[in-house]
Amino acid sequence: MMDKKTATIDSRPETMNRPSSIVHRPSFVKATLAIVQKDLSAEFRSFELISAMLVFSLLVIIIFNFALELDVKVRQSVTSGVLWATFAFAGTLGLNRSMSVEKDRGCMDGLLLAPVDRSVIYFGKAISNLIFMLIVEAIVLPVYSLLYNVNLFRLDLLGVILLGSIGYAAVGTLLSTMSAQTRTREVLLPILLFPVAMPVLLASVKASGGLLAGVELSEVLMPINLLIVYDVIFIAIAFMVFDFVVEE
Amino acid sequence: MFLQAIPDTSNYMIAGYVFAFVVMGIYVFSIYLRNANLKRDSEMLESLEEEQSKKAKKK
Amino acid sequence: MQPKPLILKILDVVSIIVLAVAAYLALVFAPTEAVMGQVQRVFYFHIGTAWVGLLGFVIAAVAGILYLVTKDVRWDRFEVAAVEVSTVFFFITIVLGSIWARPAWNTWWTWDPRLTTAAITELIYIDYFMLRQGIEDPEKRARFGAVYTLLGGISAPITFMVIRLFRTIHPVVIGSQSAAAQGGFSMTSDMKVAFFFGLFAFTVIFIDLMWHRIRLGNLEDKVEQLKLKVSM
Repeated sequence: MMDKKTATIDSRPETMNRPSSIVHRPSFVKATLAIVQKDLSAEFRSFELISAMLVFSLLVIIIFNFALELDVKVRQSVTSGVLWATFAFAGTLGLNRSMSVEKDRGCMDGLLLAPVDRSVIYFGKAISNLIFMLIVEAIVLPVYSLLYNVNLFRLDLLGVILLGSIGYAAVGTLLSTMSAQTRTREVLLPILLFPVAMPVLLASVKASGGLLAGVELSEVLMPINLLIVYDVIFIAIAFMVFDFVVEE
Repeated sequence: MFLQAIPDTSNYMIAGYVFAFVVMGIYVFSIYLRNANLKRDSEMLESLEEEQSKKAKKK
Repeated sequence: MQPKPLILKILDVVSIIVLAVAAYLALVFAPTEAVMGQVQRVFYFHIGTAWVGLLGFVIAAVAGILYLVTKDVRWDRFEVAAVEVSTVFFFITIVLGSIWARPAWNTWWTWDPRLTTAAITELIYIDYFMLRQGIEDPEKRARFGAVYTLLGGISAPITFMVIRLFRTIHPVVIGSQSAAAQGGFSMTSDMKVAFFFGLFAFTVIFIDLMWHRIRLGNLEDKVEQLKLKVSM
């Protein structure tokens, strides 16, 4: 498979007659960062995606507030659940948007033509999706802390949130690439993503719930370990199968 | 020493087995039905194809 | 469409016979369980369908990998057949479990790891068909289906491990002494006969149904190609 790929890449300059300076193959990290940079600079011009995710998250929190009657007692036990549900919903919103933008404006075809390994596209998209999620979380957390008077800024809790977001973005990027190519598109992503991402969400809820309840770190080590295992496995799988998902 | 009466749960058992057999039956029937439909389609398409090739020959 | 092979015809008959025998063993032969009564008999089919359900999902994931490696359509049809038959059997498992749970645990449903994982797994495979339906290009449909079965097959066991951190009341009937979990029981030898024959019977039925489903897939492909040919 590798041979075929390098062959097509090498044969491109002859057929396209490009100057050879453009054709040299950029390093993996450089190319990935280029995609991330492209996504971020496009986003920071308009803030379309982040603002949508943000407003949506706040709305979800408001709905939960009334749906669960978040008084002081209830709040302590459900905070982690509310937070993760919010992140998951906002996350699908962002994943959908970032992939359908690529699809609609034909950027995906451009990316696929670029003389880089396909997995570069995956890592680039996954990292920028992760950054969008983290930005939204970075704003939701202080707002939530403020509204409900709980301190969410603890290093261990932030670590769990980072691990959970990594897993969610890793699977989400792969599945959103798939769902963007189907007839039902936006509708399909959460349906495909939630059951597969269930371990991430549940382990994150369990770990952050335990931390917020003030138990020892050693007691929530199991869910955190499972989060790490999930992250590693799914990044590896996505890396291996991404080729099959973007093939035309 | 007291003997506990076995609770009568036969209704649940009957419901369970009826359910299992009904679902399996429906599934087998669905395979049969889809198969029959596809067979009809393929026969129809085959005859259509023959007609087309005959027409092509006449031309 | 090739005519039905003789082995398949024999397998059809054998399936019906073993199903009847399994039902006899479960309903008549096995002794009535002392604590739960008759409803415990549901357990033989519950386990049988669960076994083939899980077997099918594993087979599907393997077939998915093989498809991605070889790009041979036959693996795709194999995968679809495995997922479809398993989804049906797994649905029976879940409902039978629920029917058993009502008198045993006094509730139709609990959020126990096995039940929840089973429900999520079933949903993953229903999603699988929704995904396939949304894609017109058969080659792409096969590729995406293979990737999704792979993802589902890996995430399901992790889901189970995660939920086990929350709680469990599901009895472990084999390979553990924790019959103390509510609704647990130890099997007598007659029960074991019914139990293992049930596993065997459902394996035979599973193979038979899968074979039929694969043949159906072949026919589907043939019709699809004929349609293309005629419309040209």
